[in-house]
Amino acid sequence: MKLITAIIKPHMLDDVRDAVAKSGIQGLTVTEVKGFGRQKGHTEIYRGAEYSVDFVPKIKIDIVADDPQTDSVIDAIMASARTGEIGDGKIFVSDIGQVVRIRTGEAGTAAL
Amino acid sequence: MGKYRSRKVHPTPSPDALKNLLYAARDELTTETRLARAGLDALNRYSDRVDELVRLIFGNARKCTETPLALLALGGYGRKQLCLHSDIDLMVVFDGAIGVAEERSLKSLLHPLWDLHFDVGHQVRVLGDFENVETDNPEYLVALLDARFLDGDQAIFDHFSETCLGENPTWQQPIRSALLDLTEQRHVQYNQTLYQLEPDLKDSPGALRDASAVRLLARLGNGNGTGRRASDTGRLSEAEDFLLRIRSILHLERGRNLNTLSHELQETVADLFGSSDEQPRRQVEALMSTYFHHARIISRSLAASLKSLGTPVTVLSTPINDDLARAWDGIRFTDATRASLRPRTWLRVFEVALDENTNVSEQVLTCIERHGERYAPERFFPSPAERDLFLRILRPRPGLYARLSEMHDSGLLGRMFPEFQKIYCRVIRDFYHKYTVDEHTLLTIRTIERLCAPANPSRERFASLLTELRAPELLVLALLFHDVGKWTNKNHAEESVRMAVGALRRIKLPESAVTTVQFLIRHHLQMSTVAFRRDMEDPEVVNQFARLVGTEQRLKLLCLLTLVDIEAVGPDVMTPWKEEMLWRLYVDTYNRLTLGYGDEVIDTTAAAIAELTTARPDDISEQDMATFLAGLPQRYLRLFEQSRVYEHVRLSRDIKRSEVHCALEEKGSAWELSVVSINQPRLFSNICGVLSYFGMDILRGQAMTNEHGLVLDVVQFADTESFFRLNPSAKPELVDLLQDVVAGRADITQTLRGKERGLAPRGPSRINPIVHFDRQYSDRYTILELIARDAWGLLYRTSRVISQHGFDIELVLITTEGNRAIDVFHITHHGVKLSAASERALATDLDAMLGKQNEDDQGDRSSE
Repeated sequence: MKLITAIIKPHMLDDVRDAVAKSGIQGLTVTEVKGFGRQKGHTEIYRGAEYSVDFVPKIKIDIVADDPQTDSVIDAIMASARTGEIGDGKIFVSDIGQVVRIRTGEAGTAAL
Repeated sequence: MGKYRSRKVHPTPSPDALKNLLYAARDELTTETRLARAGLDALNRYSDRVDELVRLIFGNARKCTETPLALLALGGYGRKQLCLHSDIDLMVVFDGAIGVAEERSLKSLLHPLWDLHFDVGHQVRVLGDFENVETDNPEYLVALLDARFLDGDQAIFDHFSETCLGENPTWQQPIRSALLDLTEQRHVQYNQTLYQLEPDLKDSPGALRDASAVRLLARLGNGNGTGRRASDTGRLSEAEDFLLRIRSILHLERGRNLNTLSHELQETVADLFGSSDEQPRRQVEALMSTYFHHARIISRSLAASLKSLGTPVTVLSTPINDDLARAWDGIRFTDATRASLRPRTWLRVFEVALDENTNVSEQVLTCIERHGERYAPERFFPSPAERDLFLRILRPRPGLYARLSEMHDSGLLGRMFPEFQKIYCRVIRDFYHKYTVDEHTLLTIRTIERLCAPANPSRERFASLLTELRAPELLVLALLFHDVGKWTNKNHAEESVRMAVGALRRIKLPESAVTTVQFLIRHHLQMSTVAFRRDMEDPEVVNQFARLVGTEQRLKLLCLLTLVDIEAVGPDVMTPWKEEMLWRLYVDTYNRLTLGYGDEVIDTTAAAIAELTTARPDDISEQDMATFLAGLPQRYLRLFEQSRVYEHVRLSRDIKRSEVHCALEEKGSAWELSVVSINQPRLFSNICGVLSYFGMDILRGQAMTNEHGLVLDVVQFADTESFFRLNPSAKPELVDLLQDVVAGRADITQTLRGKERGLAPRGPSRINPIVHFDRQYSDRYTILELIARDAWGLLYRTSRVISQHGFDIELVLITTEGNRAIDVFHITHHGVKLSAASERALATDLDAMLGKQNEDDQGDRSSE
């Protein structure tokens, strides 16, 4: 099983959620985050006064998928989150040791 | 050794016998629970059965020691309100040291109870321990108040009771403090509202712990009877009984000591309570409506008990006027009987309570509850005076939420506005909403109130927007109605608009205010949609949103409405992340509206201005309209209603070079001057100079130029020196001077020179002036944004400096916020944007002008 973590632009969340659902994923976790990469922050001016926005708001999505599904999930995220501009985000993939459903005690892929 | 007086000596029971006893008791309670009858009486009986069991076990346990001891029930067990899976809280008190034998007796007590799967909370003390109060254990202190003797040495219990539960201030004060602190902490945890959609039957405000707190406060001796009627005790018991019946069902269904009445369980509970042939949805609505009814009773009883703490009974009331008096519990009617026949006076109580930052008394609330239903909505607003009074009440300030809650709980709000009554205790079941719709509405207003003094530094930027609103009561009015449409399952925004407009027209709110409130309600979800779900880095997204809001005032109103609407959905729904996104959208839109509006000009094709053209008066031709509007920014049509546009068109007729056509009228506490002229050098500066000459304080306004060189300036100003009031010929004098200056017959610069020297500043300057050039918001203009302390003649001096450089002022946006002037100029030089060198030169001279202003201020201050 793999943990797929995607950092995306906030306004792409609805599209990514729909695309991921179509790829067969039934659950995901969403977190409001902020960060910087090559996009960097920028300076806002309000009534002549500058203030720096160093961190850019993003959305982090965490999905645990069975190994055979991983590529299709990544493709779905790529296709739906991409605008072609700097700041589209990144996807990280790591291994998951175990998954357990708290309510029933099911483990492994049955808990996905 | 104390005198041992046990109730009975029991033979040692077998574990199976104990189990059978317990199961029999539980079966009986379960049967009652399934019939929704497991309230006070049933729990009392169950507690008696548990007592028997505990005594049997204790009887065996006490044989292990010679030391006298007593067994007490505490907390809920002490109150005999045990539900199926409640903890049992016990305290064992020894009259002597605790050694091996005593520990053995404790084990003999606890182990059988654990074997029976009781959750046992236990305290062990020796009598000497009660000489000191354990102030670091508030839950324990409060639990002691419900202590009940179960078995053992009665004398030990009597000694404990006399020491800790009597009128001994050493114990009474810390116990009272513990009770109050724990109550407050619980209330804060639940956002201080009883209108939880999934309430915790024990801990939520208005739930069982609050009911217990009412009794405990009375027992502590400060419940001196004031503020609580005899019937309250009966209503309180009824409320407790109802909540306990529900709690019993929760225990049965969950199989554990879990007390949250979740959406899922509401259906089960409602089914057990309700009639079998009713729809489940109606059963749940009836259940929750009844729950809130009882929770309110408990909440009001607790509020009355808290109010009466430390208040001497003999405080007399002080008259305020013929109708109202100030009493120990708030503002009351001097004659409730007379007041009951005069509903138009009821709102005044709330205004006085707000002004004095105190409560509305129980007497008033009871009077309104009893008599309100006799009166139709119109009876509360018989004249504009009552409408204006209501609007004054709605101005954000401390106490607003509490007063509106009182208005709502007493039924007054629903009587005045049946539209609001439609969402009374309305439940919307989804993942996000934590409160009933009416409480959510009031909580939005509470958040606005808190912005008056923000506790969190990140809220200060939003708080500053609140201070910049010209009519903040309209924001509160919009909040009051923004979700009334949720009484139905249709598109609630449009339904809310429909209902609100009806209500506002009924009280004859001015149409411009109705339009503003209508806009806010219709679009109250729009800003969050754009901020969180659209690409704000796309300029067109911000442009579209800017076109929707149209003006900075609407933007501020909508921004604040969005902030508080999200915050009031539930705890932690408005996160710092969302706040930042919302603020960014506000800034981008504000900049677009103030800096970037110049490039968007009115489309004068027939279709685009069809509405204006169709409704035009007979004396205005289509050509007149098109000629006047050509080249004006689109913003002009957002700022001015149709009737104003027609007035401006008339002013522009037959205007010649060096002529001025103007209209000057009083509008509330300010004046408005509309000037039409043909563009010429220093025109704007001259107009500002004339106003400054007469001592006028320019508050806000705009200056625009159309493509034919026609200039329209509309300026609002305050007559701070009362020039118009004191001089009957003042208005013609101002107009005449304006005409002379524009025609070149008078030189305002010379006229003002002398006056400039002798003027004092308007107030201390803590504002560092800012001169900022923007190059990105317009393709046509250089945009100059100037922020400085508002001072006499500032606009005149600024525009004079710009004119001296030979630059043309095409558009101006003038705003004053408190003592801060915020002016935006759209400038060209020979029809194009300024070069970088020109900007630098202009900035240098403006800085020098503003720097001199600051020096003058400091010089004047140092000479004071």
